[in-house]
Amino acid sequence: MRKAVAAPVPLTTGCSASGMSVTDVRGRPSPSGATSAAFYLTIENHGAEADRLASADSSTCAPTELHEMYDRGKGVMGMRPVTGVDLPAGASVMLRPGGLHVMCIDRLADFAPGDHVALTLEFQNAGTIEVDVTIRESR
Amino acid sequence: MKRALIIAGLIVALVVGAYVGLRVSRPYVFAGTVIQSPESSYDFTLQSASGPVSLSDFRGKVVVLYFGYTFCPDVCPTTMSDLATAMKLLDEKADDVQVIMVSVDPERDTPKIMKEYVQAFDPAFIGLSGTSEQIAATAAKYGVFYAKQEGSDATGYLISHTATVMVIDAGGRLKLLEDFGTTPEDMAADLKHVIT
Repeated sequence: MRKAVAAPVPLTTGCSASGMSVTDVRGRPSPSGATSAAFYLTIENHGAEADRLASADSSTCAPTELHEMYDRGKGVMGMRPVTGVDLPAGASVMLRPGGLHVMCIDRLADFAPGDHVALTLEFQNAGTIEVDVTIRESR
Repeated sequence: MKRALIIAGLIVALVVGAYVGLRVSRPYVFAGTVIQSPESSYDFTLQSASGPVSLSDFRGKVVVLYFGYTFCPDVCPTTMSDLATAMKLLDEKADDVQVIMVSVDPERDTPKIMKEYVQAFDPAFIGLSGTSEQIAATAAKYGVFYAKQEGSDATGYLISHTATVMVIDAGGRLKLLEDFGTTPEDMAADLKHVIT
């Protein structure tokens, strides 16, 4: 397995002209043995219109999907793919552990602390925003 | 005047004394759910990369038991990472604790994969797998639910599972249940009070 290639200019924040900001884009170092990984981020829709995160893509993952964890009751957690993430006008939506995440299904590289992974987010209205996932220990 | 001073002094002493007394006598409140189990927990024997491992191998240590799977990208690594942090917070007391993760996906998780997976979080962690029957029997004894569910074409099947962390005391009795999302600080504090 090759190492994740550090992006030339690490951008941890992505912005679009339509007022969508993406911050705190992160992923954990992936344990060897684990084929999948999760990326987390915060999206703020500063625009006046509702939008929707339609998909995510990274060339380091084959493929990349949007997933959510859900509580099935009695301490049981399930995970399922979602078709998108709604972003009401003015809302801040966190993709975080135990909730929504970008699912990197088959990691094509090891993720070590300090690595950067390029991630493309596709919004219904705001279009494409390129962000950079920082690999670090975090909750 | 002198008498007033003595009375004031007595009141101050009483208030301070009551405060200190309350602080000292207040029992520790666990973040997890306390289980008063009179019986020893089920003594499973499952496979590690270096041979069979039984719960009873760790009598005298507190065992932190978690059921998960390595394809799980969110809840399992979050929990294992939080447990690794809790072990660091326990410092030398971590020697009195053994973290064990049991796979609920024995089809995909071999003992070797489990070892690589858990040791990426903490080299002292133990990862176990087994036959589907052994895993089912063990999970049932601990009230752990797991079930395959449909994922996407890319993920193949996914598994819903109980995400609760179980703490078994040095005598082999289930002592605490820690819900998913319990902070490493709370888990470390709880473990400190289970270690005898």
